Amino acid sequence: MADLAIDVHDLTKTYRTPFTRRKVEALRGVTFSVERGQIFGFIGPNGAGKTTTIRTLMGLVRPTGGRATLLGHALPSRAAREKIGFLPEAPYFYDYLDVGELCDLAGRLFGLAPRVRAQRADELIEKVGLGQARGQSLKKFSKGMLQRAGLAQALMNDPELVVLDEPMSGLDPIGRKEVRDLILELRDRGKTVFFSTHILSDVEAITDRVAIIARGQLQAHGTPAELVSRSVQGVDVIIRLAPPAAGPGPDGDAETADAQLTRGAVRVRRVGEELSLTLAADTDVDAWIARAHAAGARVVQIAPRHETLEDLFVRRVAGADRPAAEERAKP
Amino acid sequence: MIGRIWAIALNTFREAARIRVLYGILVLVLGSNGLALVLGQLSAHEAGRVARDVGLAGISLFGSLTAIFLGVFLLYTEVARRTIHTIVTKPISRWEFVVGKYLGMALVLSVLVGVFALAMIVMLVVQGAGVSGAVAKAVVLSWFEVLTVAAIAIFFSSFSTPFLSGIFALAMWAIGRVTPDLEAQAQLAAPWIRITTKIALEIVPDVHLFAVSGRTLDGAAVSVHGDFVAWSYVGLAGAHGLGWIVALLALAALLFHRRDFV
Repeated sequence: MADLAIDVHDLTKTYRTPFTRRKVEALRGVTFSVERGQIFGFIGPNGAGKTTTIRTLMGLVRPTGGRATLLGHALPSRAAREKIGFLPEAPYFYDYLDVGELCDLAGRLFGLAPRVRAQRADELIEKVGLGQARGQSLKKFSKGMLQRAGLAQALMNDPELVVLDEPMSGLDPIGRKEVRDLILELRDRGKTVFFSTHILSDVEAITDRVAIIARGQLQAHGTPAELVSRSVQGVDVIIRLAPPAAGPGPDGDAETADAQLTRGAVRVRRVGEELSLTLAADTDVDAWIARAHAAGARVVQIAPRHETLEDLFVRRVAGADRPAAEERAKP
Repeated sequence: MIGRIWAIALNTFREAARIRVLYGILVLVLGSNGLALVLGQLSAHEAGRVARDVGLAGISLFGSLTAIFLGVFLLYTEVARRTIHTIVTKPISRWEFVVGKYLGMALVLSVLVGVFALAMIVMLVVQGAGVSGAVAKAVVLSWFEVLTVAAIAIFFSSFSTPFLSGIFALAMWAIGRVTPDLEAQAQLAAPWIRITTKIALEIVPDVHLFAVSGRTLDGAAVSVHGDFVAWSYVGLAGAHGLGWIVALLALAALLFHRRDFV
Protein backbone atom coordinates (compact mmCIF):
# COMPACT_ATOMS: atom_id res chain seq x y z
CA MET A 1 0.00 0.00 0.00
CA ALA A 2 1.30 3.46 -0.89
CA ASP A 3 2.43 5.82 1.84
CA LEU A 4 -0.68 7.91 2.45
CA ALA A 5 -0.86 11.47 3.73
CA ILE A 6 -4.65 11.41 3.92
CA ASP A 7 -6.85 8.33 4.09
CA VAL A 8 -10.58 8.84 4.38
CA HIS A 9 -13.10 6.00 4.66
CA ASP A 10 -16.86 6.36 4.48
CA LEU A 11 -16.85 9.75 6.18
CA THR A 12 -20.30 11.06 7.05
CA LYS A 13 -21.49 14.25 8.68
CA THR A 14 -25.10 14.99 9.50
CA TYR A 15 -26.19 18.33 10.92
CA ARG A 16 -29.52 19.15 12.45
CA THR A 17 -31.15 22.49 11.70
CA PRO A 18 -31.51 24.67 14.83
CA PHE A 19 -35.27 24.76 15.34
CA THR A 20 -36.90 22.15 13.14
CA ARG A 21 -34.16 19.59 13.96
CA ARG A 22 -34.30 18.49 10.32
CA LYS A 23 -31.35 16.33 9.28
CA VAL A 24 -28.95 17.76 6.71
CA GLU A 25 -26.45 15.28 5.31
CA ALA A 26 -23.36 17.32 4.48
CA LEU A 27 -21.15 14.27 3.83
CA ARG A 28 -22.53 10.93 2.69
CA GLY A 29 -19.84 8.27 2.81
CA VAL A 30 -16.84 10.08 1.37
CA THR A 31 -13.86 7.82 0.66
CA PHE A 32 -10.57 8.85 -0.91
CA SER A 33 -6.85 8.85 -0.26
CA VAL A 34 -3.93 11.15 -0.96
CA GLU A 35 -0.43 9.80 -1.41
CA ARG A 36 2.50 11.61 0.14
CA GLY A 37 4.29 14.07 -2.09
CA GLN A 38 1.30 14.72 -4.34
CA ILE A 39 -0.77 17.78 -5.14
CA PHE A 40 -4.40 16.81 -4.69
CA GLY A 41 -7.22 19.01 -5.98
CA PHE A 42 -10.60 18.73 -4.28
CA ILE A 43 -13.27 20.26 -6.46
CA GLY A 44 -17.01 20.67 -6.26
CA PRO A 45 -19.77 23.26 -6.55
CA ASN A 46 -20.89 25.44 -3.65
CA GLY A 47 -22.43 23.36 -0.87
CA ALA A 48 -20.94 20.14 -2.21
CA GLY A 49 -19.17 19.25 1.03
CA LYS A 50 -15.60 20.38 0.28
CA THR A 51 -15.25 22.66 3.28
CA THR A 52 -17.07 20.22 5.59
CA THR A 53 -14.62 17.49 4.54
CA ILE A 54 -11.65 19.77 5.20
CA ARG A 55 -13.06 20.99 8.53
CA THR A 56 -13.64 17.40 9.57
CA LEU A 57 -10.07 16.46 8.67
CA MET A 58 -8.76 19.49 10.57
CA GLY A 59 -10.77 18.62 13.72
CA LEU A 60 -13.07 21.64 13.55
CA VAL A 61 -16.09 19.40 12.97
CA ARG A 62 -16.71 15.97 14.49
CA PRO A 63 -17.67 13.34 11.92
CA THR A 64 -20.97 11.50 12.40
CA GLY A 65 -19.45 8.31 10.98
CA GLY A 66 -16.50 6.86 9.13
CA ARG A 67 -12.83 7.21 9.84
CA ALA A 68 -9.84 9.12 8.59
CA THR A 69 -6.10 9.24 9.14
CA LEU A 70 -3.74 12.16 8.55
CA LEU A 71 -0.06 11.29 8.12
CA GLY A 72 -0.81 7.91 9.69
CA HIS A 73 -2.56 9.35 12.77
CA ALA A 74 -6.25 8.60 13.35
CA LEU A 75 -8.49 11.65 13.78
CA PRO A 76 -8.58 13.67 15.90
CA SER A 77 -4.82 13.89 16.37
CA ARG A 78 -2.69 16.62 17.84
CA ALA A 79 0.43 14.78 16.67
CA ALA A 80 -0.83 15.08 13.09
CA ARG A 81 -1.65 18.78 13.52
CA GLU A 82 1.98 19.42 14.46
CA LYS A 83 2.93 18.43 10.90
CA ILE A 84 0.07 20.11 9.06
CA GLY A 85 -0.28 23.66 7.74
CA PHE A 86 -3.84 24.85 7.26
CA LEU A 87 -5.36 27.81 5.47
CA PRO A 88 -9.12 28.12 6.19
CA GLU A 89 -11.67 29.26 3.62
CA ALA A 90 -12.04 33.08 3.52
CA PRO A 91 -9.70 33.43 6.49
CA TYR A 92 -10.35 36.00 9.19
CA PHE A 93 -7.44 36.75 11.46
CA TYR A 94 -6.97 38.97 14.50
CA ASP A 95 -7.08 42.28 12.68
CA TYR A 96 -5.04 44.15 15.30
CA LEU A 97 -1.98 42.02 14.51
CA ASP A 98 0.40 42.62 11.63
CA VAL A 99 1.53 39.73 9.45
CA GLY A 100 4.73 39.24 11.43
CA GLU A 101 2.78 38.98 14.69
CA LEU A 102 0.33 36.55 13.09
CA CYS A 103 3.21 34.32 12.01
CA ASP A 104 4.76 34.65 15.47
CA LEU A 105 1.48 33.55 17.09
CA ALA A 106 1.32 30.53 14.76
CA GLY A 107 4.95 29.74 15.56
CA ARG A 108 4.29 29.90 19.30
CA LEU A 109 1.37 27.48 18.94
CA PHE A 110 3.67 25.12 17.02
CA GLY A 111 6.15 25.41 19.90
CA LEU A 112 8.93 26.96 17.80
CA ALA A 113 11.86 28.70 19.46
CA PRO A 114 11.87 32.55 19.22
CA ARG A 115 14.82 32.64 16.79
CA VAL A 116 13.25 30.04 14.49
CA ARG A 117 9.93 31.92 14.61
CA ALA A 118 11.55 35.18 13.60
CA GLN A 119 13.59 33.60 10.80
CA ARG A 120 10.67 31.61 9.33
CA ALA A 121 8.34 34.60 9.55
CA ASP A 122 10.83 36.77 7.63
CA GLU A 123 11.28 34.15 4.91
CA LEU A 124 7.61 33.39 4.49
CA ILE A 125 6.46 37.00 4.49
CA GLU A 126 8.88 37.70 1.65
CA LYS A 127 7.86 34.51 -0.15
CA VAL A 128 4.14 35.41 -0.16
CA GLY A 129 4.95 38.95 -1.29
CA LEU A 130 3.97 40.85 1.84
CA GLY A 131 7.40 42.28 2.63
CA GLN A 132 6.20 45.82 1.88
CA ALA A 133 3.16 45.42 4.15
CA ARG A 134 4.95 44.10 7.24
CA GLY A 135 4.14 46.97 9.53
CA GLN A 136 0.47 47.28 8.54
CA SER A 137 -2.24 45.78 10.72
CA LEU A 138 -4.26 43.02 9.06
CA LYS A 139 -7.31 45.29 9.32
CA LYS A 140 -5.90 47.28 6.40
CA PHE A 141 -5.23 44.21 4.24
CA SER A 142 -7.20 43.43 1.08
CA LYS A 143 -8.79 40.00 0.66
CA GLY A 144 -5.87 38.86 -1.46
CA MET A 145 -3.33 40.11 1.08
CA LEU A 146 -5.17 38.27 3.87
CA GLN A 147 -5.01 35.11 1.78
CA ARG A 148 -1.24 35.56 1.46
CA ALA A 149 -0.90 36.22 5.20
CA GLY A 150 -2.90 33.03 5.79
CA LEU A 151 -0.51 31.08 3.60
CA ALA A 152 2.48 32.46 5.49
CA GLN A 153 1.10 31.46 8.90
CA ALA A 154 0.12 28.01 7.54
CA LEU A 155 3.72 27.28 6.55
CA MET A 156 5.38 28.39 9.80
CA ASN A 157 5.93 24.80 10.99
CA ASP A 158 7.46 23.70 7.66
CA PRO A 159 4.57 21.22 7.39
CA GLU A 160 4.62 17.79 5.77
CA LEU A 161 1.01 18.21 4.68
CA VAL A 162 -0.50 21.52 3.59
CA VAL A 163 -4.29 21.79 3.55
CA LEU A 164 -5.63 24.84 1.73
CA ASP A 165 -9.34 25.62 1.54
CA GLU A 166 -9.90 27.78 -1.54
CA PRO A 167 -6.36 29.26 -1.59
CA MET A 168 -6.92 31.11 -4.90
CA SER A 169 -10.08 32.82 -3.71
CA GLY A 170 -9.80 36.60 -3.83
CA LEU A 171 -6.49 36.63 -5.66
CA ASP A 172 -5.84 38.44 -8.93
CA PRO A 173 -4.30 36.46 -11.86
CA ILE A 174 -0.76 37.27 -10.72
CA GLY A 175 -1.56 36.26 -7.16
CA ARG A 176 -3.11 33.02 -8.40
CA LYS A 177 0.00 32.23 -10.40
CA GLU A 178 2.19 32.91 -7.37
CA VAL A 179 0.09 30.56 -5.24
CA ARG A 180 0.23 27.91 -7.97
CA ASP A 181 4.02 28.30 -8.09
CA LEU A 182 4.19 28.06 -4.30
CA ILE A 183 2.14 24.85 -4.33
CA LEU A 184 4.42 23.38 -7.00
CA GLU A 185 7.48 24.41 -5.00
CA LEU A 186 6.06 22.70 -1.90
CA ARG A 187 5.51 19.51 -3.91
CA ASP A 188 9.06 19.72 -5.25
CA ARG A 189 10.28 19.89 -1.64
CA GLY A 190 8.44 16.64 -0.92
CA LYS A 191 5.39 18.14 0.76
CA THR A 192 1.84 16.95 0.19
CA VAL A 193 -0.64 19.64 -0.81
CA PHE A 194 -4.40 19.13 -0.53
CA PHE A 195 -6.45 22.05 -1.75
CA SER A 196 -10.03 22.80 -2.65
CA THR A 197 -11.01 25.20 -5.38
CA HIS A 198 -13.65 26.25 -7.87
CA ILE A 199 -11.03 27.27 -10.43
CA LEU A 200 -10.70 24.23 -12.65
CA SER A 201 -7.89 25.61 -14.79
CA ASP A 202 -5.72 25.75 -11.64
CA VAL A 203 -6.55 22.13 -10.88
CA GLU A 204 -5.72 21.00 -14.40
CA ALA A 205 -2.47 22.96 -14.36
CA ILE A 206 -0.91 21.65 -11.17
CA THR A 207 -2.63 18.62 -9.62
CA ASP A 208 -1.41 15.05 -9.63
CA ARG A 209 -4.80 13.73 -8.59
CA VAL A 210 -8.27 15.18 -8.22
CA ALA A 211 -11.53 14.29 -6.53
CA ILE A 212 -14.88 15.72 -7.49
CA ILE A 213 -17.49 15.99 -4.77
CA ALA A 214 -21.15 16.92 -5.17
CA ARG A 215 -24.09 16.68 -2.79
CA GLY A 216 -21.82 15.23 -0.09
CA GLN A 217 -20.68 12.28 -2.20
CA LEU A 218 -17.52 11.68 -4.16
CA GLN A 219 -18.30 11.63 -7.89
CA ALA A 220 -14.85 10.91 -9.30
CA HIS A 221 -11.33 10.31 -8.01
CA GLY A 222 -8.11 9.84 -9.95
CA THR A 223 -5.49 11.59 -12.06
CA PRO A 224 -6.86 14.20 -14.49
CA ALA A 225 -5.70 11.99 -17.38
CA GLU A 226 -7.56 8.97 -15.99
CA LEU A 227 -10.74 10.90 -15.40
CA VAL A 228 -11.25 12.73 -18.66
CA SER A 229 -12.22 10.75 -21.74
CA ARG A 230 -9.48 10.64 -24.40
CA SER A 231 -11.97 10.02 -27.23
CA VAL A 232 -12.58 12.93 -29.63
CA GLN A 233 -15.57 14.93 -28.46
CA GLY A 234 -15.70 17.22 -31.50
CA VAL A 235 -13.54 19.32 -33.81
CA ASP A 236 -12.67 22.94 -33.05
CA VAL A 237 -12.34 25.00 -36.22
CA ILE A 238 -11.48 28.63 -36.86
CA ILE A 239 -11.98 30.00 -40.39
CA ARG A 240 -11.69 33.43 -41.94
CA LEU A 241 -14.68 34.08 -44.15
CA ALA A 242 -14.56 35.62 -47.61
CA PRO A 243 -16.19 39.06 -47.96
CA PRO A 244 -19.99 38.67 -48.08
CA ALA A 245 -21.30 37.94 -51.56
CA ALA A 246 -24.84 37.80 -52.78
CA GLY A 247 -26.25 34.56 -54.02
CA PRO A 248 -26.28 30.93 -52.95
CA GLY A 249 -23.61 29.07 -50.98
CA PRO A 250 -21.20 26.40 -52.25
CA ASP A 251 -23.91 23.71 -52.27
CA GLY A 252 -25.72 25.72 -54.90
CA ASP A 253 -28.98 26.15 -52.98
CA ALA A 254 -30.46 29.37 -51.64
CA GLU A 255 -28.81 29.00 -48.20
CA THR A 256 -25.91 31.47 -47.55
CA ALA A 257 -22.29 30.26 -47.15
CA ASP A 258 -22.35 31.11 -43.39
CA ALA A 259 -25.47 29.10 -42.79
CA GLN A 260 -24.17 26.09 -44.70
CA LEU A 261 -20.87 26.04 -42.85
CA THR A 262 -22.42 26.34 -39.41
CA ARG A 263 -25.12 23.76 -40.05
CA GLY A 264 -24.74 20.91 -37.56
CA ALA A 265 -22.10 22.74 -35.49
CA VAL A 266 -22.28 22.27 -31.72
CA ARG A 267 -20.98 25.76 -30.96
CA VAL A 268 -20.66 28.83 -33.16
CA ARG A 269 -19.06 32.19 -32.43
CA ARG A 270 -18.38 34.91 -34.96
CA VAL A 271 -16.06 37.86 -34.39
CA GLY A 272 -15.81 40.08 -37.49
CA GLU A 273 -14.75 37.90 -40.40
CA GLU A 274 -13.53 35.12 -38.12
CA LEU A 275 -15.84 32.21 -37.45
CA SER A 276 -15.04 29.88 -34.56
CA LEU A 277 -17.08 26.70 -34.25
CA THR A 278 -17.07 23.21 -32.86
CA LEU A 279 -18.19 20.49 -35.22
CA ALA A 280 -19.81 17.31 -33.98
CA ALA A 281 -17.42 14.37 -33.51
CA ASP A 282 -18.96 12.41 -36.41
CA THR A 283 -18.68 15.27 -38.95
CA ASP A 284 -16.91 14.45 -42.22
CA VAL A 285 -14.17 17.01 -41.65
CA ASP A 286 -12.59 16.65 -45.13
CA ALA A 287 -15.91 17.35 -46.83
CA TRP A 288 -16.55 20.28 -44.49
CA ILE A 289 -13.13 21.83 -45.30
CA ALA A 290 -13.81 21.41 -48.99
CA ARG A 291 -17.13 23.24 -48.57
CA ALA A 292 -15.36 26.02 -46.66
CA HIS A 293 -12.79 26.43 -49.42
CA ALA A 294 -15.52 26.43 -52.04
CA ALA A 295 -17.18 29.26 -50.14
CA GLY A 296 -13.96 31.26 -50.28
CA ALA A 297 -13.13 30.80 -46.58
CA ARG A 298 -9.61 30.23 -45.31
CA VAL A 299 -9.07 27.61 -42.59
CA VAL A 300 -6.98 29.20 -39.82
CA GLN A 301 -6.98 26.38 -37.26
CA ILE A 302 -8.40 22.92 -36.89
CA ALA A 303 -7.96 20.65 -33.87
CA PRO A 304 -9.68 17.65 -32.30
CA ARG A 305 -11.51 18.46 -29.08
CA HIS A 306 -11.00 16.17 -26.06
CA GLU A 307 -12.97 16.22 -22.85
CA THR A 308 -11.68 18.75 -20.33
CA LEU A 309 -11.85 18.62 -16.56
CA GLU A 310 -14.54 21.27 -16.80
CA ASP A 311 -16.64 19.00 -19.07
CA LEU A 312 -16.17 16.15 -16.62
CA PHE A 313 -16.99 18.40 -13.68
CA VAL A 314 -20.20 19.65 -15.27
CA ARG A 315 -21.20 16.13 -16.30
CA ARG A 316 -20.56 14.61 -12.86
CA VAL A 317 -22.11 17.44 -10.90
CA ALA A 318 -25.19 17.47 -13.14
CA GLY A 319 -25.37 13.69 -12.71
CA ALA A 320 -25.27 14.07 -8.94
CA ASP A 321 -28.04 16.67 -9.04
CA ARG A 322 -30.35 14.60 -11.25
CA PRO A 323 -31.55 12.05 -8.63
CA ALA A 324 -32.25 14.88 -6.22
CA ALA A 325 -34.24 16.77 -8.85
CA GLU A 326 -36.17 13.61 -9.69
CA GLU A 327 -36.83 13.08 -5.99
CA ARG A 328 -38.18 16.64 -5.70
CA ALA A 329 -40.38 16.15 -8.77
CA LYS A 330 -42.13 13.11 -7.28
CA PRO A 331 -45.77 13.86 -6.44
CA MET B 1 1.63 23.39 27.00
CA ILE B 2 2.54 26.48 29.03
CA GLY B 3 3.91 28.17 25.89
CA ARG B 4 0.68 27.57 23.96
CA ILE B 5 -1.54 28.75 26.82
CA TRP B 6 0.66 31.81 27.27
CA ALA B 7 0.46 32.58 23.52
CA ILE B 8 -3.35 32.58 23.69
CA ALA B 9 -3.35 34.58 26.94
CA LEU B 10 -1.02 37.21 25.51
CA ASN B 11 -3.09 37.49 22.34
CA THR B 12 -6.29 37.79 24.39
CA PHE B 13 -4.70 40.53 26.46
CA ARG B 14 -3.80 42.46 23.29
CA GLU B 15 -7.30 41.91 21.94
CA ALA B 16 -9.00 43.09 25.13
CA ALA B 17 -6.67 46.07 25.50
CA ARG B 18 -8.08 47.36 22.19
CA ILE B 19 -11.71 47.31 23.36
CA ARG B 20 -12.71 50.94 23.77
CA VAL B 21 -15.48 50.15 26.24
CA LEU B 22 -12.79 49.28 28.79
CA TYR B 23 -11.38 52.79 28.55
CA GLY B 24 -14.91 54.13 29.06
CA ILE B 25 -15.22 52.03 32.22
CA LEU B 26 -11.82 53.28 33.36
CA VAL B 27 -12.94 56.89 32.93
CA LEU B 28 -16.17 56.09 34.77
CA VAL B 29 -14.30 54.63 37.75
CA LEU B 30 -11.82 57.50 37.87
CA GLY B 31 -14.77 59.91 37.63
CA SER B 32 -16.60 58.20 40.49
CA ASN B 33 -13.45 58.50 42.60
CA GLY B 34 -13.37 62.21 41.79
CA LEU B 35 -17.01 62.45 42.80
CA ALA B 36 -16.17 60.71 46.08
CA LEU B 37 -13.59 63.43 46.67
CA VAL B 38 -16.32 66.06 46.36
CA LEU B 39 -18.79 64.06 48.49
CA GLY B 40 -16.07 63.58 51.12
CA GLN B 41 -15.60 67.34 51.37
CA LEU B 42 -19.34 67.77 51.87
CA SER B 43 -19.51 65.18 54.67
CA ALA B 44 -18.38 66.07 58.17
CA HIS B 45 -15.21 64.15 59.14
CA GLU B 46 -16.24 61.21 56.96
CA ALA B 47 -14.15 61.93 53.88
CA GLY B 48 -12.03 58.78 54.33
CA ARG B 49 -15.09 56.57 54.82
CA VAL B 50 -16.73 57.92 51.64
CA ALA B 51 -13.51 57.47 49.68
CA ARG B 52 -13.11 53.85 50.83
CA ASP B 53 -16.78 52.97 50.17
CA VAL B 54 -16.87 54.52 46.71
CA GLY B 55 -13.45 53.16 45.73
CA LEU B 56 -14.12 49.58 46.86
CA ALA B 57 -17.65 49.59 45.41
CA GLY B 58 -16.18 50.77 42.10
CA ILE B 59 -13.65 47.95 42.02
CA SER B 60 -16.27 45.33 42.82
CA LEU B 61 -19.09 46.65 40.62
CA PHE B 62 -17.20 47.86 37.56
CA GLY B 63 -14.62 45.07 37.81
CA SER B 64 -17.36 42.42 37.84
CA LEU B 65 -19.33 44.07 35.02
CA THR B 66 -16.15 44.26 32.95
CA ALA B 67 -15.46 40.60 33.70
CA ILE B 68 -18.94 39.67 32.45
CA PHE B 69 -18.52 41.85 29.36
CA LEU B 70 -15.14 40.37 28.43
CA GLY B 71 -16.15 36.82 29.36
CA VAL B 72 -19.23 36.71 27.18
CA PHE B 73 -17.67 38.43 24.16
CA LEU B 74 -14.08 37.29 23.86
CA LEU B 75 -14.79 33.56 23.51
CA TYR B 76 -17.92 34.07 21.43
CA THR B 77 -16.25 36.34 18.88
CA GLU B 78 -13.52 33.77 18.31
CA VAL B 79 -16.20 31.37 17.07
CA ALA B 80 -18.41 33.94 15.33
CA ARG B 81 -15.51 35.51 13.40
CA ARG B 82 -13.90 32.12 12.78
CA THR B 83 -10.53 33.26 14.08
CA ILE B 84 -10.69 30.03 16.07
CA HIS B 85 -10.31 28.03 12.82
CA THR B 86 -6.71 29.15 12.54
CA ILE B 87 -5.98 28.45 16.22
CA VAL B 88 -7.51 25.09 17.11
CA THR B 89 -6.16 23.53 13.92
CA LYS B 90 -2.70 24.03 15.38
CA PRO B 91 -1.39 21.51 17.94
CA ILE B 92 -3.32 23.03 20.84
CA SER B 93 -6.04 21.33 22.88
CA ARG B 94 -9.34 23.09 23.20
CA TRP B 95 -9.00 23.16 26.98
CA GLU B 96 -5.67 24.93 26.58
CA PHE B 97 -7.42 27.48 24.40
CA VAL B 98 -10.17 28.07 27.00
CA VAL B 99 -7.63 28.39 29.81
CA GLY B 100 -5.50 30.73 27.67
CA LYS B 101 -8.51 32.93 26.94
CA TYR B 102 -9.35 33.03 30.63
CA LEU B 103 -5.81 33.87 31.68
CA GLY B 104 -5.63 36.66 29.11
CA MET B 105 -8.87 38.07 30.49
CA ALA B 106 -7.62 37.64 34.04
CA LEU B 107 -4.52 39.61 33.10
CA VAL B 108 -6.60 42.48 31.70
CA LEU B 109 -8.92 42.43 34.71
CA SER B 110 -5.98 42.38 37.11
CA VAL B 111 -4.53 45.46 35.43
CA LEU B 112 -7.93 47.18 35.65
CA VAL B 113 -8.37 46.27 39.32
CA GLY B 114 -4.85 47.54 39.91
CA VAL B 115 -5.63 50.87 38.23
CA PHE B 116 -8.94 51.17 40.14
CA ALA B 117 -7.14 50.43 43.41
CA LEU B 118 -4.40 52.94 42.60
CA ALA B 119 -7.02 55.61 41.93
CA MET B 120 -8.64 54.84 45.29
CA ILE B 121 -5.30 54.97 47.11
CA VAL B 122 -4.49 58.34 45.52
CA MET B 123 -7.88 59.59 46.62
CA LEU B 124 -7.38 58.30 50.19
CA VAL B 125 -3.97 59.95 50.39
CA VAL B 126 -5.38 63.22 49.07
CA GLN B 127 -8.10 63.01 51.74
CA GLY B 128 -5.41 62.36 54.35
CA ALA B 129 -7.11 59.08 55.31
CA GLY B 130 -4.19 56.76 54.59
CA VAL B 131 -4.35 53.15 53.39
CA SER B 132 -5.11 50.55 56.06
CA GLY B 133 -4.55 46.81 55.95
CA ALA B 134 -8.34 46.40 55.79
CA VAL B 135 -8.44 48.31 52.51
CA ALA B 136 -5.66 46.13 51.07
CA LYS B 137 -7.55 42.97 52.09
CA ALA B 138 -10.80 44.33 50.65
CA VAL B 139 -9.05 45.09 47.33
CA VAL B 140 -7.62 41.55 47.18
CA LEU B 141 -11.08 40.10 47.92
CA SER B 142 -12.60 42.23 45.15
CA TRP B 143 -9.90 40.99 42.78
CA PHE B 144 -10.88 37.38 43.62
CA GLU B 145 -14.51 38.29 43.03
CA VAL B 146 -13.75 39.75 39.59
CA LEU B 147 -11.73 36.67 38.58
CA THR B 148 -14.53 34.34 39.72
CA VAL B 149 -17.15 36.34 37.82
CA ALA B 150 -14.96 36.14 34.69
CA ALA B 151 -14.97 32.34 34.99
CA ILE B 152 -18.78 32.35 35.35
CA ALA B 153 -19.08 34.45 32.18
CA ILE B 154 -16.67 32.31 30.17
CA PHE B 155 -18.53 29.17 31.26
CA PHE B 156 -21.83 30.46 29.85
CA SER B 157 -20.08 31.81 26.77
CA SER B 158 -18.79 28.33 25.91
CA PHE B 159 -22.29 27.26 24.83
CA SER B 160 -24.51 30.34 24.59
CA THR B 161 -24.88 33.69 22.84
CA PRO B 162 -23.39 36.85 24.39
CA PHE B 163 -26.84 38.19 25.32
CA LEU B 164 -27.96 35.05 27.16
CA SER B 165 -24.50 34.49 28.63
CA GLY B 166 -24.55 38.05 29.95
CA ILE B 167 -27.97 37.60 31.53
CA PHE B 168 -27.03 34.26 33.11
CA ALA B 169 -23.69 35.54 34.41
CA LEU B 170 -25.22 38.71 35.78
CA ALA B 171 -27.96 36.70 37.53
CA MET B 172 -25.45 34.28 39.03
CA TRP B 173 -23.25 37.11 40.28
CA ALA B 174 -26.23 38.94 41.79
CA ILE B 175 -27.60 35.80 43.47
CA GLY B 176 -24.13 34.83 44.69
CA ARG B 177 -23.79 38.24 46.27
CA VAL B 178 -26.94 37.84 48.39
CA THR B 179 -26.82 34.10 49.09
CA PRO B 180 -26.81 34.53 52.94
CA ASP B 181 -29.82 36.84 52.75
CA LEU B 182 -31.71 34.38 50.52
CA GLU B 183 -30.87 31.53 52.89
CA ALA B 184 -32.09 33.57 55.85
CA GLN B 185 -35.34 34.33 54.06
CA ALA B 186 -35.77 30.69 53.07
CA GLN B 187 -35.53 29.66 56.74
CA LEU B 188 -38.85 31.40 57.29
CA ALA B 189 -40.56 29.68 54.35
CA ALA B 190 -42.14 26.25 53.93
CA PRO B 191 -39.79 23.22 54.18
CA TRP B 192 -39.90 22.46 50.43
CA ILE B 193 -38.96 26.05 49.59
CA ARG B 194 -36.15 25.89 52.13
CA ILE B 195 -34.77 22.66 50.63
CA THR B 196 -35.19 23.87 47.03
CA THR B 197 -33.46 27.16 47.82
CA LYS B 198 -30.61 25.37 49.56
CA ILE B 199 -30.04 23.06 46.58
CA ALA B 200 -30.33 25.94 44.08
CA LEU B 201 -27.83 28.06 46.00
CA GLU B 202 -25.32 25.21 46.07
CA ILE B 203 -24.76 25.62 42.31
CA VAL B 204 -24.16 29.35 42.62
CA PRO B 205 -20.59 30.50 43.34
CA ASP B 206 -20.34 32.10 46.80
CA VAL B 207 -19.42 35.55 45.56
CA HIS B 208 -20.64 37.00 48.89
CA LEU B 209 -17.47 35.66 50.50
CA PHE B 210 -15.57 38.43 48.73
CA ALA B 211 -17.87 41.25 49.87
CA VAL B 212 -17.90 40.93 53.63
CA SER B 213 -17.75 44.55 54.74
CA GLY B 214 -21.01 45.42 56.55
CA ARG B 215 -21.83 41.76 57.27
CA THR B 216 -21.66 39.69 60.43
CA LEU B 217 -19.19 36.80 60.46
CA ASP B 218 -19.14 34.34 63.38
CA GLY B 219 -21.26 36.78 65.37
CA ALA B 220 -18.90 39.72 64.88
CA ALA B 221 -19.56 42.75 62.69
CA VAL B 222 -17.08 43.16 59.86
CA SER B 223 -16.30 46.54 58.37
CA VAL B 224 -13.52 47.91 56.21
CA HIS B 225 -13.72 51.05 58.36
CA GLY B 226 -13.17 49.12 61.58
CA ASP B 227 -12.63 45.45 62.39
CA PHE B 228 -12.05 43.59 59.18
CA VAL B 229 -11.31 39.94 58.35
CA ALA B 230 -7.87 38.39 58.87
CA TRP B 231 -5.50 37.52 56.00
CA SER B 232 -6.27 33.84 56.66
CA TYR B 233 -9.90 34.55 55.71
CA VAL B 234 -8.71 36.27 52.52
CA GLY B 235 -6.59 33.20 51.71
CA LEU B 236 -9.49 30.80 52.32
CA ALA B 237 -11.88 32.93 50.27
CA GLY B 238 -9.29 33.01 47.46
CA ALA B 239 -8.94 29.22 47.59
CA HIS B 240 -12.73 28.91 47.46
CA GLY B 241 -12.83 31.23 44.44
CA LEU B 242 -10.02 29.28 42.76
CA GLY B 243 -12.03 26.08 43.25
CA TRP B 244 -14.99 27.64 41.46
CA ILE B 245 -12.74 29.01 38.70
CA VAL B 246 -11.18 25.59 38.07
CA ALA B 247 -14.60 23.87 38.10
CA LEU B 248 -16.19 26.43 35.77
CA LEU B 249 -13.26 26.37 33.34
CA ALA B 250 -13.29 22.56 33.33
CA LEU B 251 -16.98 22.58 32.44
CA ALA B 252 -16.43 25.28 29.81
CA ALA B 253 -13.58 23.26 28.29
CA LEU B 254 -15.75 20.12 28.24
CA LEU B 255 -18.58 21.94 26.46
CA PHE B 256 -16.15 23.65 24.10
CA HIS B 257 -14.52 20.33 23.29
CA ARG B 258 -17.81 18.94 21.97
CA ARG B 259 -18.60 21.89 19.72
CA ASP B 260 -18.48 21.90 15.93
CA PHE B 261 -16.91 25.02 14.45
CA VAL B 262 -18.73 25.51 11.15
